[in-house]
Amino acid sequence: MIEYKGVYKAFDEPVLSGVDLLVESGEMFALFGPSGTGKSVLLKTTLALIVPDMGDVCIDGQSAYYGGRGTLEQIREKVGYVFQYAALFDSLNVFENIRMGLPKSTLTRMTEKEVAHKAWEALELVNLEPRLILSKLPDELSGGMKKRVGIARAIVGRPEILLWDEPTTGLDPVNTAAVERLITQLSEELQVTSLLVTHDVEGGLEMCDRVAMLEGGRLRFCGTPEEFKDSDDPVVQAFQDRAAAYAALDVLDVR
Amino acid sequence: MNGNNPSANTAIPLPLQAVLAPIGRVAHTVAEHAGEIAILLWSVGRAYTEFRVSGREIARQVYIMGVQSIPIVMVTAGLAGIVTSQQGGYQFTGSIPLYVMGSVVTESVVLEMGPVLTAIVLVGRVGARITAELGTMKVSEQIDALYSVGRDPVEMLAAPKILAGIIALPLLVGIANLFGILAGMYTAQLTMGLGYESFFYGARLFWHSWDLLYSILKAVAFGFAIPTIAIHMGLRTGGGAAGVGLQTTQSVMFMTLTILIIDAMFPPLFL
Ligand SMILES: Nc1ncnc2c1ncn2[C@@H]1O[C@H](COP(=O)(O)OP(=O)(O)OP(=O)(O)O)[C@@H](O)[C@H]1O
Ligand SMILES: [Mg+2]
Repeated sequence: MIEYKGVYKAFDEPVLSGVDLLVESGEMFALFGPSGTGKSVLLKTTLALIVPDMGDVCIDGQSAYYGGRGTLEQIREKVGYVFQYAALFDSLNVFENIRMGLPKSTLTRMTEKEVAHKAWEALELVNLEPRLILSKLPDELSGGMKKRVGIARAIVGRPEILLWDEPTTGLDPVNTAAVERLITQLSEELQVTSLLVTHDVEGGLEMCDRVAMLEGGRLRFCGTPEEFKDSDDPVVQAFQDRAAAYAALDVLDVR
Repeated sequence: MNGNNPSANTAIPLPLQAVLAPIGRVAHTVAEHAGEIAILLWSVGRAYTEFRVSGREIARQVYIMGVQSIPIVMVTAGLAGIVTSQQGGYQFTGSIPLYVMGSVVTESVVLEMGPVLTAIVLVGRVGARITAELGTMKVSEQIDALYSVGRDPVEMLAAPKILAGIIALPLLVGIANLFGILAGMYTAQLTMGLGYESFFYGARLFWHSWDLLYSILKAVAFGFAIPTIAIHMGLRTGGGAAGVGLQTTQSVMFMTLTILIIDAMFPPLFL
């Protein structure tokens, strides 16, 4: 369970102005929103990669900011994070990158062979050929491959909660399908809680139990995919078809 | 408009504000850096007291900072010795006994040139590199990624480099002192015909037993300051590739100034 409680963050201007959101355990939740509304910022506050100015985030009832010593470390161990731009460690090869995804406590209990096996498995899950890529450096990979290695790093430790920051942006249709299947699989078979930030509204609506939309620093919408489709809010509608999107250019005044 | 401008409704007269505002800004910046460095050092200290720092990584950093810097440090110190010797010869020939040159060269190399020039070389060779590397990791979210997988960048990246600096600099300064003196001695012989015995006689005549300790103490201070500032500046980088460039430049200036200030503070503190 992920609970955002009045999360407020300003850089030069307020980006998040009080976001309240509850993602239930085992749920698949999609977060939509125009570019630059703070979706990535919100995800980052979950692990204190960005510290909010006000508010709190609770993971399974444990507060990330007021939970006392060690809580944040525990939270970071059970939450996997897929970065929007992969964020691979560029001095480490693919295997070493994925190895970093395993918690330190787990690593000390494992043999190198078990680690290699896990890395292999994780790469196959994201539709990459382990044999060809394990010893490559991130610089030698394409953008889409980097992204999938980033996903492998996030899932290799079998986290209970996964935060996906646009995991399918920049992937071809086949790999998009593979990643979508992986997200569904993880949540159905392992009851992983997934919070998915995506611009692929159709895909998000299809896969997720509930969806929300962030706009202007607040949640503009939160509900089931059906409610989202039936919403008469023009901004929400704009996210669903191109025609409405053009109309929304006037509503949002983005020109 | 004026609602956001604090100067609009304060009682301080405008000319005074023009003087006070920059002072305030500088004080604010200084306090911010000091606070962040204090937090960084506190975390580094905790990583060490909890035995979380990898000995292998410390050794690797000593190799990168220390061993790989030996050639350039030797060249720099050698040239410093040559220059001092020639200048001394030009200034003093005919006015004082030539063996005094032994002392002039030895003392200026050990007390000033050795430690300071080595530190300045290390600012470029090691400090700039650390800032650029950590800055790039920061702007490409690799630092965030480390936190997200439960690793501590301070423990992995910062702590080993600071201790390595404290170990490597005194060793390098020792080498620099040796090479500076030898080069100076050789130059004195070449240009003034000063024999090696006379050079050593002069060197010993004015030598204090704490001179070497003083030199090494400086090296320790510089070896601590360079990586600490470089890491601090690297970790607060923002703004993409241009940000990394700007931050590296500022870091080099910050390190150089700090070295010169520490150097200026040494005589009143220790002599
Ligand atoms: N570290 C930072 N420093 C300053 N401003 C930031 C920082 N991170 C994000 N912002 C600002 O916060 C706002 C939201 O950024 P964010 O990356 O969360 O957008 P997003 O919703 O994820 O957009 P996209 O869909 O394009 O990824 C932007 O205006 C951005 O300029
Ligand atoms: Mg984003």
